[in-house]
This record gives sequence, structure tokens and C-alpha cells, in this order.
Amino acid sequence: MFELLDRETLGIIILTLQMTLLSTAISLVLGVPLGLWLDRVNFKGKSILVLINRTLMASPPVVIGLVVYLLLMRNGPFGSLGWLFTLQAMVIAQVLLLTPIICGIVYTASQRSSSHIRSFAVTMGATKWQTQVLLIKELGNEIYFAAITGFGRAMSEVGAIMIVGGNIRYHTRVMTTTISLLRNRGEINQAIFLGAILMLIALAIQIIAGILRKRERRTDENY
Amino acid sequence: MKITDLKKKLDKFSLDIKSLEIPEGKIYGIIGPNGCGKTTAMKLMAGVMKPDSGKIDYCGLTPRDITMVLRKPYLLHDTVERNLIYPLKLRKIKPDITLIDHYLEITGLTDYRNKYALTLSGGEQQKLALARALIFSPKLILIDEAFSNMDIESVAFFEDYILKTQTEDPLTKTPSEPKTFIIISHQLSNIKRMCEYTFFMHNGEIITSGETDKLLSSPDNDKLKQYLNYM
Repeated sequence: MFELLDRETLGIIILTLQMTLLSTAISLVLGVPLGLWLDRVNFKGKSILVLINRTLMASPPVVIGLVVYLLLMRNGPFGSLGWLFTLQAMVIAQVLLLTPIICGIVYTASQRSSSHIRSFAVTMGATKWQTQVLLIKELGNEIYFAAITGFGRAMSEVGAIMIVGGNIRYHTRVMTTTISLLRNRGEINQAIFLGAILMLIALAIQIIAGILRKRERRTDENY
Repeated sequence: MKITDLKKKLDKFSLDIKSLEIPEGKIYGIIGPNGCGKTTAMKLMAGVMKPDSGKIDYCGLTPRDITMVLRKPYLLHDTVERNLIYPLKLRKIKPDITLIDHYLEITGLTDYRNKYALTLSGGEQQKLALARALIFSPKLILIDEAFSNMDIESVAFFEDYILKTQTEDPLTKTPSEPKTFIIISHQLSNIKRMCEYTFFMHNGEIITSGETDKLLSSPDNDKLKQYLNYM
């Protein structure tokens, strides 16, 4: 087994984790406030915005990959950044895939219970900021679920990152694109090994997140 | 509190309170049939709901001086103790252990202080919500059928407790600035026992009001008479 886990494979695992954690974190920072905002506001065209978000939740990764590719290609509007076939490009594509999913989950959860939470906050004399903090805390389970869903999506993604990352050896090759490549080459054992590692990482992160969540609940006693 | 031309249109009815003055430091009752606008009126007073038009003059009270206990109280996804101290935490007041113990004791939840609040029974949840509203000594306390799930003994206890602590500090037993309570209840016994003055609402309007004993013993309005006949 250890023969299979060489320096190159370790590099691939580390890059996969970097990309997945970074894109999930950025998508949470964008998606959670967006979902809460969407529930809070009422304006003409809100239903269209919700419809667009729901469509984006199911958007095919290759289409997102293509859009990011067109934006970052040398002659594209952001070509001067030189981000095509880099980790940045892969993170951008992942963020575009994940943010609507996280926003959608938070929006749906918020629709269900935010009015009760906001009313309660008013009756307790909470400020606007305290109300937002309370909302995020009370929707903690749903936000946690959104984060795990987003993480799972990022971890398993192939199409978009293949287009914008290029699956370049030692540079943008991640676990899913490597598995795809190994299968094409007929190196099934190595592909299965990487697949198993991918599943183990997903399991480990779920366990760590679960422990942190429990600990956060226990240690929040700073009154 | 002074209310002028307060209007709120909802799907089923419209609330319309022309003029209402509620002097501070007393316990008031609001009665009326289901759907007459009692809860809406209370939510408007608490600031939970915004009126379509009209004005509420709080006469110097800020949102931090007002609280409301809802019929179905919202409890935090947290322990009983953390629910209890939440309003203190919001005000950056370090809770005194004697104060926490006192409120846990009066609610009968001392043994449940570290238990998840949402596992409590309906009546216990109402007691916790009531204690949470009282712990930070607000000046105006609005109570919307908060006794509805409690047993008779608990209701009697809280009636006594509110009557006593309305003008007295619960810990030191020394006189304190009188608090104002507004109570909605379908149990006329609650209203008779606690409220000095009562408003009767019908179809979104306050159609009569008066000193509780007088209003309920010799009603001056047909709608009120009809309502009392069913009670």
C-alpha cells in the first residue's frame, strides 16, 4: 500500500485538500449571508433571482468550467491575471458551483425559521448585529449541512476543474482528475487506491467537523 | 404608552386602534374572541410587527426596556441555563449565580439547567420563556397566553409571583420601580386576579375597557356580554 503512496500522490492529496477546503470556505462566506439576505429582503424580481439560484444549484460543472475558462483565457476579460491552469482557477470554478448550493440551502432553512428567530430577537431587545449572530447560530445545523454538502461537491468535482486546471502533473492534478486519468491508462489498482483515500479523507473531515461542532457547543460559555 | 390611529391589515382582518393610553406601572389585560387582533396588537406594541400606519409613543422606553412572551415561545437550540441568561448576555451583563438559581428554582428547572431546552414539556418551555423575560427586569412586559400550557398550580404560582415582583425586587425583596404588564389570556381567572384594567377587543378594535372587576361583573357592551356568556 505504501508503495502506492509516493511523493507525487501525496502532492495530489495535499492539492486536493487545499482546493476543496479553500473553495468551501469562500463559498460559505459568500453563500450564507446571501441566503440570509435573500430571505430578509422583498423586492420586485426576487422570485426570478431565487429561480436563477436554483438553476445554478444544478448547473453542469463542465458549463461552469467553460465559463471560467472563457473568462481566464489569454484573450478573455481576466486573461491578464494569468490564472488559467492554476489552483486559483480551480477554486474560482468550485466557488461558482458551491455558492448557489450553500445559498439555496441557507435560504430554504431561513425561510422556515428566520421569522420566529427575528421576532424572538426583537422581544429580547437584540441589536441588528446581535440578531444576525443569533440567526447564524440558530441555523447552525443547516449551515453545517450546507458546508458538508458543498465540501462533498467540491471533493467529487471533475468536469470544471479538468477544463480550468488542465490536470497538469505536479501543478493542477487533483485526486478526481488523477483517478479519471488512471482509469484511461488502465491503472485500475492505483485508481481504486486513490478512490479509497478520497473516501477516507471525506470520512475524516466529517468526523473532525462533527467533533469541532460538539466542542463549540460545549465551550461557548463566555457570558 | 400612547397609541394613535394604529392600523394593520392582515389576510383575515384589519386592526384599527384609534386611540389608547396605557399609563405605566400597572397590570393590564386584553380579552376577546379568537382572531380579534389581540396578538397582533401586542406584537405591534412589542415592535415585532410594523404597523401600516399610526404611531406608538413609548414615552421614553427603548426596545431594550420591552419584552414579549409569545404563546409558542422560541427557545434557543441550547441548554436551559443558556436560554435563561440570553437577554443578560445581549446586554453584556455578567449573570449573578444567585439570580440564575432563583429563576431556575421558581420555574422548577434547577435539575434541568444543563439539559437541552427543546426537550422540555410545553408547560416547562412556557415557564422558561417567562423567567427569561423577567430575568433582565424590563419595564414593559407583554404576555400572550403564556400560561396556556401550565398546570393550575404553576399558573397560580406565576400569578402570585408577577403580582409580587411587579413592585418588588425578587432577590432583595425591596421595593422597585413598578413594572407594566399587559396580559392576553382566555382564562378570565388570570385576568380577574392580576389585571387592574382590562381592554375588550372585537374585530380588530378595542370596543370597551374599564377596571377589570367592574368591566367583567357588569359589562356595558353586548359583544362583551356575549363573550362572557361563553366563558
